[in-house]
Amino acid sequence: MTEKRPLAKPRPATSNNFGRKSRVWLNQQKQAIDFSLKRLWFNPISAWITLIAIALALSLPTSMHVLVKNLQSLTHNNQSVPTISLFLKPKVTEQQANDLAELVKSQPEVLSTTVVTRDQALQDFNKISGLADTLKTLGENPLPNIVVITPKMNDLGVTDADLEDFSKRLKTYKEVEDVQIDIEWIQRLRAILQIAERIVAVVAALLATTVLLVVGNTIRLDIENRKDEIRVTRLIGATNRYIRRPFLYGGLWLGLFGGFLSLLVVNIALLFLVDPVNKLSMLYGSDFNLGGIDLTTTLEVLTVSAGLGLVGAWLAVNRYLWESEVIND
Amino acid sequence: MTTKTIIEFRQVHKRYPTGQLALYNVNLTIHAGEMIFITGNSGAGKSTLLKLIALLENPSKGDVLIDGTPLSHLQARQIPNYRRRIGFIFQDPHLLYDRNVFDNVAMPLLISGMPATDITRRVNAALDKVGLGKKTKSYPLMLSAGERQRVGIARAVVNRPTMILADEPTGNLDPELAQDIMHTFAQFNDIGVTVLIASHDHGLVERMKKRILVLQRVEL
Ligand SMILES: Nc1ncnc2c1ncn2[C@@H]1O[C@H](COP(=O)(O)OP(=O)(O)OP(=O)(O)O)[C@@H](O)[C@H]1O
Ligand SMILES: [Mg+2]
Repeated sequence: MTEKRPLAKPRPATSNNFGRKSRVWLNQQKQAIDFSLKRLWFNPISAWITLIAIALALSLPTSMHVLVKNLQSLTHNNQSVPTISLFLKPKVTEQQANDLAELVKSQPEVLSTTVVTRDQALQDFNKISGLADTLKTLGENPLPNIVVITPKMNDLGVTDADLEDFSKRLKTYKEVEDVQIDIEWIQRLRAILQIAERIVAVVAALLATTVLLVVGNTIRLDIENRKDEIRVTRLIGATNRYIRRPFLYGGLWLGLFGGFLSLLVVNIALLFLVDPVNKLSMLYGSDFNLGGIDLTTTLEVLTVSAGLGLVGAWLAVNRYLWESEVIND
Repeated sequence: MTTKTIIEFRQVHKRYPTGQLALYNVNLTIHAGEMIFITGNSGAGKSTLLKLIALLENPSKGDVLIDGTPLSHLQARQIPNYRRRIGFIFQDPHLLYDRNVFDNVAMPLLISGMPATDITRRVNAALDKVGLGKKTKSYPLMLSAGERQRVGIARAVVNRPTMILADEPTGNLDPELAQDIMHTFAQFNDIGVTVLIASHDHGLVERMKKRILVLQRVEL
């Protein structure tokens, strides 16, 4: 006489049922990971074609994103960008210039002010142009004292009207002869960047769809090649979840490795750009530096690409499972 | 022997989508722990009967009950769990040709998430039982038809099922080997496993001295 388990019912729960279940789950995950990685490894050609397709599709929006981010950093407060210069009237003394600088600084739109005295200005001018002798012939220093304003770009708003308004107010100071605004280009740049961001979003969406399709198609072909295997495992009691698992991991790897590859591509492309861009910004006296891909962007790209791979695989497998629900030997 | 009913057919009819009537009004009761042979001419419906039990086909009319529960009441997600309790030996063994003998036999254990060390032990034991202990690394195409069939048998028993359904398990084996395999099934039966074997090897079936069920071909 032997005790038998009921057939259609789950095994009776035991005290360590949970431990057993999680161990089974872990074993199955490990198995699926092993299996899916091996399949990638042993099908190098199709794997590489897919990976390169994914990498290329991802590198376009990634590099555009990096470019836009770099340009955006130009419009931030902390970048020493060209500014608003107040050219003071000739009779205004250095002391008065300092007082005015203090006064202007209290305005909400202003981050900081510095005074460039006429002597300093002359020295700078000499240094840059080497025209000291010419100026000497004038006998007297023709340059005015200058108050240089670094505005808070974020508070100044983005419209030209704001800027106009601010400059008008500055002109009302009696010491001021002329206001020279060097920040209009930043505002234009900002407007352009806003459009560029939208374009990046659209391109990213289109290419994300491409990645989804590429992964989905690769997994679909993989399923096609393994139909027999799926059928047999089903006959001996595999659940849909079990059948799905290695394919999902397969999609995840394609996405993840494709993401790595695209980061590599973008970084190499940036290496080509870094030198000329930095030289250019030096020529303009800017301390702008071309930034690479930071950690956040790296993680973003990898998460998105892995996610796309997973979803692509999910769609492909579910479509197949749904179609083949009727089981025939 | 317990007299608990494990499998029951109630007025089961099976008509394939082609219109072919394979089973007509089959009534049948099998007790838990029983070993039973199903014989009948080719086309009598032996394979069909086994497939109905393993839910590889559904009856067109009537009910197949397991432990008193009609299989038609089983939900789709319960089916895999139910199938894992069955060791099914297919007439054509359905091996995977890109995996070696060991990996083919290991499949049911992988599905149930067994640790690798236990799998190795169990698979080797099952392969020893069918006399293939030395062929673990071979691929199915390198094997004879009889060896392939024995791989299918090892795969069916490796997970220690409560029910073995075997469709012509000795069809490609020489008489001596066929006898051995039948004894292996008898050993499983001794430890309480219910065994159903479809076969048209009358001599062999009669020598086993078990209940024999004869299916008649449906004549229209
Ligand atoms: N998938 C199918 N589609 C249509 N008809 C089928 C199918 N499977 C079996 N049949 C038919 O059903 C009848 C019974 O088939 P089955 O395979 O059950 O017979 P069997 O007793 O196992 O025969 P054999 O001894 O040759 O294996 C046969 O007439 C066969 O042609
Ligand atoms: Mg048959």
